[in-house]
Amino acid sequence: MAIIADKATYRRTIDNVLSDIRLYFRLIWMQIRSQGQYKADMFVNIGTYFLTTSLEFAAVFLYFANFSTLLGWNVGEVAMLYAVTSIGFGFSEMFGAGLDIFPDTIRLGEFDRVLLRPVSALIQIASSDFRLRRLGRITQGIVALFIATAFLPAFHWTLLKVAAMCIGIASGTILFLSVWLLGATMCFWTVEPTELVNILTYGGRDMLSYPLNIYNQVMQRIFLFVVPLAFGTFVPVSYMLEKSLPFGLPNNLVFASPAVAIAFFLAARAIWQFGVRRYQSTGS
Amino acid sequence: MWRFYLEVARTAFRRQLIYRWANLAGLMTNIFFGAVFSYVIIGLFHAHSAVNGYNVLDTLRYTWLVQSMIMIVLTFGWYDLMLTIRSGAVISDMSKPCDFYWYWFSRECGRDLYFLIYRGIPTYIAGILLFGLGVPGDWRYWPAFLLSLALGSCFGIAYRVLYNAIAFWFLEARGIGTMVVVVALFFTGSYVPVPLFPHWLLVIAQWLPFNALLNVPAEILLDNVPAGTIAFELARQFVWVIVFTLLVRLVIGRAARRVIVQGG
Repeated sequence: MAIIADKATYRRTIDNVLSDIRLYFRLIWMQIRSQGQYKADMFVNIGTYFLTTSLEFAAVFLYFANFSTLLGWNVGEVAMLYAVTSIGFGFSEMFGAGLDIFPDTIRLGEFDRVLLRPVSALIQIASSDFRLRRLGRITQGIVALFIATAFLPAFHWTLLKVAAMCIGIASGTILFLSVWLLGATMCFWTVEPTELVNILTYGGRDMLSYPLNIYNQVMQRIFLFVVPLAFGTFVPVSYMLEKSLPFGLPNNLVFASPAVAIAFFLAARAIWQFGVRRYQSTGS
Repeated sequence: MWRFYLEVARTAFRRQLIYRWANLAGLMTNIFFGAVFSYVIIGLFHAHSAVNGYNVLDTLRYTWLVQSMIMIVLTFGWYDLMLTIRSGAVISDMSKPCDFYWYWFSRECGRDLYFLIYRGIPTYIAGILLFGLGVPGDWRYWPAFLLSLALGSCFGIAYRVLYNAIAFWFLEARGIGTMVVVVALFFTGSYVPVPLFPHWLLVIAQWLPFNALLNVPAEILLDNVPAGTIAFELARQFVWVIVFTLLVRLVIGRAARRVIVQGG
């Protein structure tokens, strides 16, 4: 990264970032308007997605019909973990959805056109497949959060807990986005086993919807220190529920989540940029 | 004519062989989800020894059987037929001098057989290696299990062709497609094993058609079905296969009469 020498370059960097963000929302807004043209389809799609995710949530309750505790976590606590994970994941899926279809973009040679335009390739790709139906998961996550608190009579919100939750969801969004980005980056080298990324995205989401301490130590370490998705899910929820973290980590580690998330995102972006530089078109 | 259908099935089987990497990645995904569910189950059973006659080993075996069979009976995200309807290519399949449904049925049989050999068996072996499952069931249950799995696959084919046929009426039906698959998988035990359902839901699940997909074969192999009722369970699966095959043929017949392809 370039060292910012003086005020003018600093200003220019800020301006660039701001114009990228403006462009991103403009591209998304175009897609929202086009999807809004087919109102019935849009509502059916949001509705079916909501129902699909609700069944996932129902599974949590079904497990607890016969069992009272999952290694010290009761139904309300697991439900809260599910809700926070789901909301963070939902935002990442909504904002970074173009990354999901990136293998097709590469295979069809459309990435060449993206590179020709004088705007950040990442912004163009991330905004290329915005789907309103993904509001279904976020809505469902918020409903799940209310249901979870209803099952936790002893739980009381404090300002710090609200802050921990917001930090957790924001960090979760960034972390899941980074994983989508890493998955897309893989396509520069191979377009074959891209389904493997689903293990980290959809698999990571399902896995982190349950307390991290039920998994074996290697998996726990991976999701804390290598692909730190736990910082957007398990760590903040443990703070909210006053539970201890594995490996004797301090509970207020949650307030380091944004730093971890941003560091991971920057690493993912560096790999992406390396990939873009060595990209050779598939040709036709 | 059956020679033709056999050839269609064989071609579908061979076509699937090309996707070696995709299958390997899918295999890893099945194993990963199997492992996640296994840890949840082990964690839940920490404070309990048995629920509805299932101990922790039975439940783990059930979960891995489900992960092994899921691609055989009901593929997630299968829109092959729907896409031909959207592109109009469906008309060339409809004009073939064979029955449209049996054509797709044979294709899918070939695929199912592929997934049995290259996905199902490796997934279960991974479960054996990772969680010490061992080989389930008395050998006497194996014939009944295989018959039940075949019936489940026939039901799965009818079901997936049926929800794909929605595209004859709504062009973009993938959202609905995902939902009906999730509902079916939910009620056949792919999220939570059916034997762990609370009693009222268990009774409902057993009378839903989806029971025929994964739950019946898994329960037969795990010896959770009393020997006297195996015949009844198989018969119930068979009835669902007949009902859904007739239904899908009726729907396709209706669609065939109103399908118009835009030329040009």
